[in-house]
Amino acid sequence: MSDPTALLQHTETRYLLCRASDIGEGEARGFGPLAGSRRKIIVLRRNGVLHAWRDACPHYSTGTPMAWKTDAYMNGDKTHLTCHSHHALFDMETGQCILGPCLGQQLTRVNIVVGDEGDVFVAGPTEEI
Amino acid sequence: MNIIGPDYLIFGVDDVAACTEYLTAWGLKPVNVTESGGLFETLDGTGIIVRHKADPTLPPPLPTSNMLRQQVYGVRAAEDLDAIEAELGRDRRVTRLSDGSIEFKDDHGFELKFQVTIRRELDMPAEKINAPGAPAQRRPNEIGVWEEMPALPRTLSHVVLFVPDIEIAARFYCDRLGFVITDVLTGAGPFLRPRANDDHHTLFFIRTPEYMKGCEHLAFHMGGPTELMVAGTRFVKKGYQSFWGPGRHKFGSNWFWYFNSPLGCHFEYDADMDKHDDTWVAREAPMGAEASQIVLFEMREKWAPGGPPPGAKH
Ligand SMILES: [Fe+2]
Repeated sequence: MSDPTALLQHTETRYLLCRASDIGEGEARGFGPLAGSRRKIIVLRRNGVLHAWRDACPHYSTGTPMAWKTDAYMNGDKTHLTCHSHHALFDMETGQCILGPCLGQQLTRVNIVVGDEGDVFVAGPTEEI
Repeated sequence: MNIIGPDYLIFGVDDVAACTEYLTAWGLKPVNVTESGGLFETLDGTGIIVRHKADPTLPPPLPTSNMLRQQVYGVRAAEDLDAIEAELGRDRRVTRLSDGSIEFKDDHGFELKFQVTIRRELDMPAEKINAPGAPAQRRPNEIGVWEEMPALPRTLSHVVLFVPDIEIAARFYCDRLGFVITDVLTGAGPFLRPRANDDHHTLFFIRTPEYMKGCEHLAFHMGGPTELMVAGTRFVKKGYQSFWGPGRHKFGSNWFWYFNSPLGCHFEYDADMDKHDDTWVAREAPMGAEASQIVLFEMREKWAPGGPPPGAKH
């Protein structure tokens, strides 16, 4: 499937983002945006665990997109999720900004669940995403 | 002190390959670029130099996550370098390099270099428009746009710096280097142009906390608003991330379109900036969405009305 937005099907209150196997260790990819939202959802894998974050750097109140190119969310050393507006570095597991304009602020976590078949869904309400 | 404007901006990056891809797609020409970086130039020879952040030949980094290492300014002649050296040598170390260029730090610790400019004189038309009541700028049968039309950055236009103290920054560039304030966005900072350049600004400051000190964005002049929008559209289609624009600023009147980059700052295409001379009186407006732009658009995928009417048979 070449268009990731095509994966975003409404299944009751769960939105399908991707398959768990789509995200390798230390990798991040963007999906969406979900209907009604302006921002994508970043799904990454760190120490084997999947985390999802709203693709919105907290530097500006509206939140701004973080990649420099499609799915390019990491710094060059691949150690941190990075906003390529001003090179703010975020901890992949906590979403905490550790260096850059939004120092001390945090990314918005998107709760996800992985189904039995390995599908990754957004869990819970998506209004704020 | 006939300072013209930035010749080069030098960055110490963490991913040279990504920057090489980005700068080439942006429309810059790689010159002697290897795996360890090099120069990416505009049509007039000004441009961006990237090297890996561990490269020992780079000037030292800022104490922030910003990747800007040095701003290289072009001046008209060797006498201008002598004048700058004499002035700045009064209170700081000025290093004279073997090629005659000089290096020192500004009052915020930004690394500066001044050299006799390397820019080549351009001889190209601006975007031409036709309007009732004015002589046509395009001859009969001369078309305005075509799919493969060139849309390449012509020259490095300006740099915008995050600085903790606007007063210190403005005083340094105005009092010590002869820059002139053209307009002020209160709450952000002043626009400056150097004496030997009539562009509305080659430098702009934004007040920020110390830990943000660095380059906010850098910009390239395009041949006109159409080139700007064509270049930006092509860039987005390749997957690069728009940040703000396209639109047109109020102060400076320049069209703008900003993008994220792997160099840790925004990259801007700009076009059709105001020119000023010494009779200009600086305006002032409070920083905000209204003051900052006269129009703002957001790119969408190409679309056209049409197609078969509802219910038509294929
Ligand atoms: Fe700009």
